[in-house]
This record gives sequence, C-alpha cells and structure tokens, in this order.
Amino acid sequence: MKIDRSNPPQSSGKVKFTLPKFERFELKNGMNVLFMQKNHLPVVKINLQVNCGSSFDPIGKSGLAFLTAHLIGEGAGEYNSLQLDEEIESLGTLFDPSTDNDIVNLSMLALSDKLERSFELLALIYQSPQLNDDDFNREKNKLLAKIVQNLNEPSFVASSNFDKIVLKNTFYENSVLGKTKDVETFSNSDVINFHKKYFVPSNSLMIVVGNVTKNNLEEMLNKYFTTFATSIIEPPKPIIAEKQNSKFYFIHQENAAQSEIRIGHLSNKRTEPDYFAKNIANSVLGGQFSSRLNLNLREAKGFTYGIHSAFIYYKNVGYFEISTSVNGKDTAESISEINKELAGLKLEITDNEIDFVKSYFIKRFPATFETNSQIVNSLSNLVKFSLPENYFDNYIQNISNCSKAEIEKSIIEHFRTDELIYLIVGDREVVIPQLKQITNLEIIELDVEGNLV
Amino acid sequence: MNEILNIKYEKHILDNGLEVVLYQDKTLPIVSVNLWYKAGSANEVEGKTGFAHLFEHMMFQGSKNVPKEKHFKFIEEAGGTLNGSTSLDRTNYYETLPSNLLELALWLESDRMGFLLESLTQEKLDNQKDVVMNERRQRYDNQPYGLSWEIIFSNLFPKNHPYHWPTIGWMKDIEKFELTDVIDFFKKYYSPNNASLVVAGDFEYSDALLLVKKYFDEIPKGKPFTQISVPTEKLAENKKIIHKDNVQLSKIYFAWETAKLFDQDDATLDILSDILSGSKNGRLFKSLVFEKEIAQDVASFQYSASLTGMFIIIATAKPGVDLSELKVEIEAVLDEIMANGITEKEFNRSINTVKSSFIYSLQNLNSLANQINHYNTSLGEPNSLILDLERFEKLNVNSINEVAKKYLKNPYVELHIVPKGVINEN
Repeated sequence: MKIDRSNPPQSSGKVKFTLPKFERFELKNGMNVLFMQKNHLPVVKINLQVNCGSSFDPIGKSGLAFLTAHLIGEGAGEYNSLQLDEEIESLGTLFDPSTDNDIVNLSMLALSDKLERSFELLALIYQSPQLNDDDFNREKNKLLAKIVQNLNEPSFVASSNFDKIVLKNTFYENSVLGKTKDVETFSNSDVINFHKKYFVPSNSLMIVVGNVTKNNLEEMLNKYFTTFATSIIEPPKPIIAEKQNSKFYFIHQENAAQSEIRIGHLSNKRTEPDYFAKNIANSVLGGQFSSRLNLNLREAKGFTYGIHSAFIYYKNVGYFEISTSVNGKDTAESISEINKELAGLKLEITDNEIDFVKSYFIKRFPATFETNSQIVNSLSNLVKFSLPENYFDNYIQNISNCSKAEIEKSIIEHFRTDELIYLIVGDREVVIPQLKQITNLEIIELDVEGNLV
Repeated sequence: MNEILNIKYEKHILDNGLEVVLYQDKTLPIVSVNLWYKAGSANEVEGKTGFAHLFEHMMFQGSKNVPKEKHFKFIEEAGGTLNGSTSLDRTNYYETLPSNLLELALWLESDRMGFLLESLTQEKLDNQKDVVMNERRQRYDNQPYGLSWEIIFSNLFPKNHPYHWPTIGWMKDIEKFELTDVIDFFKKYYSPNNASLVVAGDFEYSDALLLVKKYFDEIPKGKPFTQISVPTEKLAENKKIIHKDNVQLSKIYFAWETAKLFDQDDATLDILSDILSGSKNGRLFKSLVFEKEIAQDVASFQYSASLTGMFIIIATAKPGVDLSELKVEIEAVLDEIMANGITEKEFNRSINTVKSSFIYSLQNLNSLANQINHYNTSLGEPNSLILDLERFEKLNVNSINEVAKKYLKNPYVELHIVPKGVINEN
C-alpha cells in the first residue's frame, strides 16, 4: 500500500536535553579557569586566552600581537622550535595559536591520557618562550610575505577593507596581520616586551572542556602554571567609531571573474539588550539559507552562489555586514536587489517569518553543545562579552520572549539605509559603468591596501 | 584505546536494494541522516562534465510533495543543518536535526529519491545552472591558484579517464545542460539499489528501522547500468605546465599517480606525506621553510579515490625565489628519503598523530555518520575504523622509503603558477 506523503511528519514528542553546567575556579597564581567535564570521549579541548588581540597593537606596530602569538610557539623552555613541535606532535596533541581583534588564543586538543604533558608544554609556551632572534627573523619574513600574498585574495581584500572603512579611527581598523610598513619596523625586543606585558595570569583565562575531573585539572594547572607575574595593562583607548553617511567604494582587480560585494554600517555592542531582537530580524533578512536575501539573489535570480548578512561583534563594537560575490555583469542589479530587500524588511516582517527563525534557534540549541570545541567557544564568548552567568539557562526563553514589536523596533534602529557603506571589489571596466546607473554618489576608488587612488 | 573505535551497528538491506546502517548514540538528543549515491563526476562523459554536481543542486529544488525552497526550510525550521557534496565517485546528502524529527528527514530524503522528477521544471534548472556557474567563479576562477586542481587532473589523467575533468565541470559544459540530462541521470543512478543510508544518533533501533522502511520500501529498484571503464594508459613522461594567474607569489606543484582509496599503499603514502610536511619537523618543511627559507609554505598529501589516487607536493616560493630552486631542494629531500629512509622517531611521531586523529574523528555525529557510510560504501563494512587504523599500525619504518621508491620515481606532472607579467620563468 502506498503511504500518504502529502504532509510533512510532525515531531514524535519532546526531546530531553540537560544543559551541561560549567564551573569557575582560580589558580594559585590568580589565573581564572572555566571548566566543564564531558566524559563521553577521552578528549580534552583547551583554550588559553590572553586579553591582547590586535586591538592592543601599539600605534605604528600593527601585527605585533599576531607575530607574538605565533613566535611563542617557536621554542620554549629547554626546547627549540623543532624540538618543541616534536614534543607536542608525539603526544598526538594538536596545538594552534591564533589571534583575533580582541584576544590571543593558545588552543590545544589532547587525548585525556596525554593531558598532563600537554599542559606542561602549554605552560612553557605561555610562560617561558625562547623568543630567539633567528626565529624572530624567519617568522617576521614569513608574515611580510603572507601580507603580500593576501593582496590577491578578492574576498580578503573586500572584507579587510570593509572593516577598515566602517571601523576607521578605532583600534579595530587594522587587519590582524598588520601593515607591511609597520611589520618591517619590528625588532625582537618588541615581541619580548609585548609578551612580558600581556602574558600574565591576571590578563589570561583558561577554558577547559572534556574528560578530566576538576580535582585533577586543578592539580595539573597549579603544578605547571606557576608564574605570578603581574603588570599594569591599560585597555586600548576607548573606541570612537563614527557613524558615516552612505558612500560607495571600489577596488579594482583586473579580469576579476566575479565582484565581491560588502554592504553595511556600524552598529551597537553585543551586550545591548536588543541583541536577540536584532538577531532574529537579521535571520529573516540574511542569516540563514532560507532568508530573504538568499532566496532572492540565489534561488530566484541566480546572481550568486550565496549571500549572507550578519551583525559582527568585537568586544567593544559591533557592525552590520552583508557579503556576497556575484557575476560581474550582475553587480549593479545585485546591489539594487539588496537595497530592495533592506527596504522590504523595514516595510514588513511577518509572524510566520518570526516563528520560523525562533524555531530554528530554539530547536538547534542542544546541538550547539555537541563537541568540546563548540562548548569552549561558547564559554569564550560568554567571558569576552561579559554575558550573564545564566546566559545559556535563559537562552531559549530570551528567544521565545522576543515580541514582534521589539523586533520591528530593532529593524528601525539597526538597519540604517542612510548609513550604508558599499564596497565592491571587481573589474573596473565591467563594474563602474553599472554603478553609475544606480547611484549618484561619488564612487571612491581605493587600492587593495585601502589607500585612495 | 581502540575499543572506542569499535562501532556497533545494525545493517539491513531493503527489498529494493537500499543498504541501511543504523548507529545508536544517545549522547545528545540529535540524529544524523546521511545518504550516499554511488555516482560522482567519474560517471560523467566528455562534453557533459560537472553534471553530477549540478544534479546535486537539483536535489535541493523540491520534489513531488516538497515545494521549491521548502527542503531547506523544513530542516531549518526543525533546528537542523543540512548539505550535500559531490566528489569523483559519489554524491552525498546529509542533515542533523533533533531526534524527535527523524521522520521529517526520512520523508524529505525519500521524496527526492523516489519522486524528484514530478516537480522538475526548466526554470529550476536554469536557475541552478546560474548558481553553479557562480559557484565555479567564486571557488575556482576568482581564487588565486584556484585552477591548479583541474590543471593537474586534466594533465595527469588521459582524456578518456573518468578523473580527467574537475568535479565542478568545465564552464562550457555547465552552460549547455538540459532537462533531459537531469531525467536520464536520475533514472540511471538515483535508485535505492545504488545508494547507502546511515542513520546515526539518539533513537531505538526498531523504531528507526520501521521509519526507514515506511518511507523507502515502496521506491522501486533501478535498472543495472554498465560500470565505468578505466583506461590502463599511464603518464609516459614528465609534463610541465606554466600557468599565469592573479597571484603575488609563485607556486610549484608535483603530482604522481599512486594507489587507490583503502589500498595498503594509500595508508603508507599518508604517512609519507606527514613525514614530508605534516609538521615543522617534516623533511620538506624543515628544509625549505625553516632552514633555507626559500619557501613560504609547503604541503604534501595523498589524495585517493575509488579508481586511483595521486600524491601531491605543493610549495610556495618566497618573494624573489625562483621555482627551479624549490624544485632542486624538493628533489634532494625525496632522494634522501629514497636512499636512506626515515628514522624510528619520525615514524613513531607520525603513527601517533594518525592514532589520535581517529579518536578525534568521533567528536561530531554528522562527520562520523559520513565516515560510517564511506566505509559501508567502499568496504562493505560500516565498522571499519579499527581496520582502517590497522593499515597504519602494521607499517614499519622501511615501508616509507619503499613506497616513495615505488611511486615517486614514476613520471609526474609539474605545474608552475606564476604572477602575470613574469617573463623568464622556466
């Protein structure tokens, strides 16, 4: 007998999900620890986060946080660069130092029976890096080449320049990798001083999730993280991000196969109470596959492989960004459609759309606690944005409680068509004549590094 | 430690030939549905390249009972994530969603397996052709070094080899596809007896089997089709290609045809690649990047598929360094390994890395379900993590130079990607 397929099956009852709890404790040297025990696999994820991302780069020394984070892994304690790498790799531990605008993150993924030795090595990297001149020179040269290499990556050129324009005159305007002319002036003592100043317990946070008990963890950490160094750290100068009127920017890439498009403006911080409302509104516009922007520009028009919008948050600032790459000949029409969708969002948002987005966020919640790495990232955000301790307990309620009126208010406040910055990276001959058809604004041309042409 | 790699499962084969693997894991209230069709770009023919991938896009355009746009919407509304991908040998579709909505995923997958053509339109095809052409532009044509992969494939394998063309396809072929292509491909390859379904996560075995049968049992078996033929002709002599691109730094690539997927040599070549470039102590990394500082980065890997595999080495020249200089050093490193082998220490380090990577691979249900399907499809045994790991554990230090000698002395493809405007490149 044929089954009736005409209607989608409904859910088979409620799912049971118990929110895992995290704990906090402090090491003898004053370092804070966030911890969650997860026993289903013999794996532990570690983030040792130091509050000194690229926004702490001294003036004229952009890229210093990045290079420091990278160099401390090039030899520590009794081990030179190659020996240290050998020690870590022979454990099967994965070590990955990274830098963003706000923090330097020394991350490890380790098997639980190799955890103690992994912590011992991590402590050496954090407390006793060798910071030799040879390693410094080699890695500095690599960084300089990497900066050059990125100049032909259209998506990087678009995103980094968009950041720079929207966040101009703030400590977030520089790319994490830094500028060539700044990096060229670095000496090894810059790195040594940067490490000494910022890599201290009071400026660091340890996040550990996985198969280890609290007692064992506390014991291991106190055994290896033993420096009591302190230093006086001034936060980066307060941010003075400025609202701007709409502007069009263009960056030429010869024979570009597509146009990279970024559109957006400055917004408010992650900590504002209307976070949930604006997030729901953004999901209707462009936060998911089934959002208005993607259904229009991809699924109806075929202009692009995908389009996305998001509120992006750094610790002290937030901004709104729509990003896509489209076939060159469709550049202007794509921008017009994006403008149309923004105008449409201001006109109307339906109950169905709101329910759809809420359902997505609420039902997806348990799956965001699947891997130790996901949990570590969530805890990291909790601290980075000073979110309340019960943030996860109230998450579902905060989503479901958002009223249509609150969402509509957030749309008026946070999608500001008169402040939109447009940046297009593409082929001049193809794109500029099109842009002139859709805007009377001056088209400001920049080079790939963001300088006026 | 290996016991946790022992995957317990139930396997059933439905009357229509669909293979069903159920793997229970109640850690979280989620479930992953993972469906492989044994058709990929290797099943295409010259002039119709990229079709398996375009067809994958059509599978998200709705089916008889699922209107356009609704496939994604149903899963997203359920709080799920979903996607699909096409490779040389297969196309897969997968979604992870709350466990109480397993039936929704099975309804969606079965509707497009059984009843896709009922909702097919020219408009949908034209739209997805545009999307895929933009995908090709975004991921390959507008990326620095983005064409390297297709240049290597089309030079390493002869014109009549199923791996001669890229999975995304040639642009001129994508433009030409018609509705009849979709209908023919669907009828030939998208049948239950050419597919393998894995359901993993929080469910009871008997419930899950009942649901799978409810939705898939009535889909009729497909007709048998002739398997692809592979020419025996191998690359006869070294080939060198110079390609100018919008890049700042030059790159050199070497590619040798090697062993196919799950072959013993396939594992040995994985270890060789780790010894060469898996870490700072990798021989190539240490020589080119660390000591001589002539390369910005270096990578090597064994890329294997059902019919054959290849070993690839890639190095990026530092500004001002000629690629011929990199070539000399790369050859010196390879010659040294072939002549004198590697050390116990290097060998043990690599084996440890592989072992831990097997444990790490258990962390995400969606990727584990896909791996189980990979084993079921390629080896006929879903529980093959241990068997797979044993391919590495049975090696010894001499295996590595032997495998290097066996393959890396053969003719190879050498590709240079250089900045536009560079004149004296040789």
